[in-house]
Amino acid sequence: MSSNDEYSDEDIEYYDEDEDMEDIDDVGSASEMELDPLNDLNDPTRPQRKIFEVEYESLSQNDVEKLMRADIEYISSIFGVEMDTASLMLRWINWNKEKLIEKYMDNANAVLMASGITQADKAPERAHAGRSPSSSAHQSSIGPRRSSRRIAPEPPKSGKTKILERLTPPIEDGKFICPICFDDTQTETLNMTCFHKFCKSCWHAYVESKVRTEAESWISCMAEDCSLVAPDYFIEGVLKEDKATWDRFQELLVRHFVGAMPNLKYCPYPSCTYTVSCPVSVSKTSLSSTVPIVTCGASAAHKFCFGCHVDSDHRPVICAVAKMWLQKCRDDSETANWIKSNTKECSKCQSTIEKNGGCNHMTCKKCKYEFCWVCMGPWSEHGTSWYNCNRYDEKASVDARDAQSRSRASLERYLHYYNRWANHEQSKKLSVELYAKTEKKMEEMQITSELSWIEVQFMKKAVDEVIKCRTTLMWTYGMAYYLERGNEKELFEDNQRDLERAVEELSELIESPIDPEVIKTLRQKVTDKTVYVQKRNEIVLEDTAKGFMDRRWKWNVPVEGYD
Amino acid sequence: MDARLRRVNKEISDCKNDKSSNISIDLVDNSPFHLIGEFDGPEGTPYEGGHFKVDIIIPESYPFQPVKMKFITKVYHPNVSSASGAICLDILKDAWSPVLTLKSTLISLQSLLCSPEPRDPQDAEVAKHYMTSKSSFEETARYWTQAYAGGSGKEVRGKGRADGPRDEIAMAGLERAHVEKFQAMGFDRTKVIDVLRRLNYRGANVAQINDDKVVDELIKS
Ligand SMILES: [Zn+2]
Ligand SMILES: [Zn+2]
Ligand SMILES: [Zn+2]
Ligand SMILES: [Zn+2]
Ligand SMILES: [Zn+2]
Ligand SMILES: [Zn+2]
Repeated sequence: MSSNDEYSDEDIEYYDEDEDMEDIDDVGSASEMELDPLNDLNDPTRPQRKIFEVEYESLSQNDVEKLMRADIEYISSIFGVEMDTASLMLRWINWNKEKLIEKYMDNANAVLMASGITQADKAPERAHAGRSPSSSAHQSSIGPRRSSRRIAPEPPKSGKTKILERLTPPIEDGKFICPICFDDTQTETLNMTCFHKFCKSCWHAYVESKVRTEAESWISCMAEDCSLVAPDYFIEGVLKEDKATWDRFQELLVRHFVGAMPNLKYCPYPSCTYTVSCPVSVSKTSLSSTVPIVTCGASAAHKFCFGCHVDSDHRPVICAVAKMWLQKCRDDSETANWIKSNTKECSKCQSTIEKNGGCNHMTCKKCKYEFCWVCMGPWSEHGTSWYNCNRYDEKASVDARDAQSRSRASLERYLHYYNRWANHEQSKKLSVELYAKTEKKMEEMQITSELSWIEVQFMKKAVDEVIKCRTTLMWTYGMAYYLERGNEKELFEDNQRDLERAVEELSELIESPIDPEVIKTLRQKVTDKTVYVQKRNEIVLEDTAKGFMDRRWKWNVPVEGYD
Repeated sequence: MDARLRRVNKEISDCKNDKSSNISIDLVDNSPFHLIGEFDGPEGTPYEGGHFKVDIIIPESYPFQPVKMKFITKVYHPNVSSASGAICLDILKDAWSPVLTLKSTLISLQSLLCSPEPRDPQDAEVAKHYMTSKSSFEETARYWTQAYAGGSGKEVRGKGRADGPRDEIAMAGLERAHVEKFQAMGFDRTKVIDVLRRLNYRGANVAQINDDKVVDELIKS
């Protein structure tokens, strides 16, 4: 609680990072034991962190609840208030403990009122069955009042007083009639310390609608102009028979807490309740040199970027460049749409060729011409040293003199990169479809060869690797588009080319028909190639990451963090 | 019985039994979840003498989510869309409370007519008009009341009766002389009214907007 001098008083979003990191470490070790030992991300024997990886921790909802509870306990003990009271105050101040302590010292009554614990002008007259928010907040007039146009200067006619009458529960013949549903057969009623009494089924419908429809965890009393907010014990009582809504309420509390912490991020995958803690990626400067890709503990597929809103792996490109590239693709989507089509014409015989695998080595069924799907050039050249499929010839754009040819050249240049980006993306999708085929192949192999189930796993591993590398390749095109011409870019493209060539070769291997005779050789080939591809991918990731750290990359446009 | 149905039925019958409030709620078809509310324009306002109809939809989760209301009768008011009748009122949004009723909400709408809130507008053009010249705004609001809400319109000076073809210039809250001036330059009358309304060519603003600016806009439109 020392380093917050530089933050303004108004900045309630600020949170003491150092202390929070300690908290996370405490819980982190506990959570690792509960996690699936097969999940290599949390495996204690996991090899040392690579240069293109960041340090992070995956937290279950339970782990985050523990962090929340620690904060609540802390406030509860120093203020001498109940846990539920501390919780409301923390939620009100966006979980900024220091700020809360400061405000509470300054004016406890104002804090209690703003947090919906006590009401202005009307503090609870007597303690309510065992649960009463500690309140020294009597008769204070400070604190925000709900502004409402209902308090019109001159309400016409007699309506206004009638509304107010409703606020006191109408009691006819000693029978309670709920002022909301007008049901006089309801036997169970509930109220908070404001004594606004309503039947239990109305409370339930209200809380359910707030939690489910509005995703709201800050739930005020149903009475008009009552500013009390329902504490956890009250919600729990209302939802006693509705576990699903109670669970959702708790999830909302966790989300609120996570949203207030700069070092925490909720897993963006649908219906996932995991959180990732990545304290090193909190600062903007670190985002200009590292790409904080993390995976939540629920599934290895839940990969996302801690630094931006991309819900997938965008390594090796930093967030700012990834964002620019995605925006560019969105802006130019119309011009580039035709590229995404799945069919092209053979450049020799003009017959239509459909792409149905991830491999880019195409052979025309009719004339047997072998060519590259991406550049439509002859495939024979692609294996040689002058292979140039990934590199854009900048000459055209440099030579362009007039505006029209300049704009044509710039479109051509964009299409070169976009074409390759989109192609790897598409191939990736087709490779995912390949999974099903691969499974089948693996079953076949078990029958036709003496290979065991474990031994046929090499196919699945190869497909996984191809998908992973195509993701890297996609983003290298996004990056190359913005890289300034020169030696550094050429080295970058050399690495890109080597990876791309290796990936295409592996892609071709795993799509080739399986002959029982040569299955052992195929297995060796695929396994070797997979290892090689893996190595090439690491080289691209590592060298690019190093380049970011050394500030070696030069851009042809202004990039955030690079002035 | 379904709690929502019981509650709405009770609200409708309570409203029928209460003759003192001059608020009525009626069914549109046979469904109690689509209603029409009606009330008179408050006295001493430009809406006096008018009779206003409001479309009411009771959502599935009523009364835990706010009722949906919009004006059927056209109203010239900063917090009501002059085109769609949509209403900007806190209790129809986050300030809604389940203890509020259809009747109390309609009363709030009636109060809204008494006390416009131009800083939180639904119709920005009307709000600008209100801020620029309250008297001119009120004249237009009165004209609308007369034209659309059956108001007597006795206080509308020099605008002619609204029984005949409606006067577009009065409807837009503009001065006839201003419109005619730009019409004389050869621009289409409807276009002129449209542009002047958008520019809020009223009261003290007229001196601020030079003719070139208006002509510019007229050419662009
Ligand atoms: Zn009830
Ligand atoms: Zn209350
Ligand atoms: Zn997840
Ligand atoms: Zn990112
Ligand atoms: Zn061919
Ligand atoms: Zn090629």
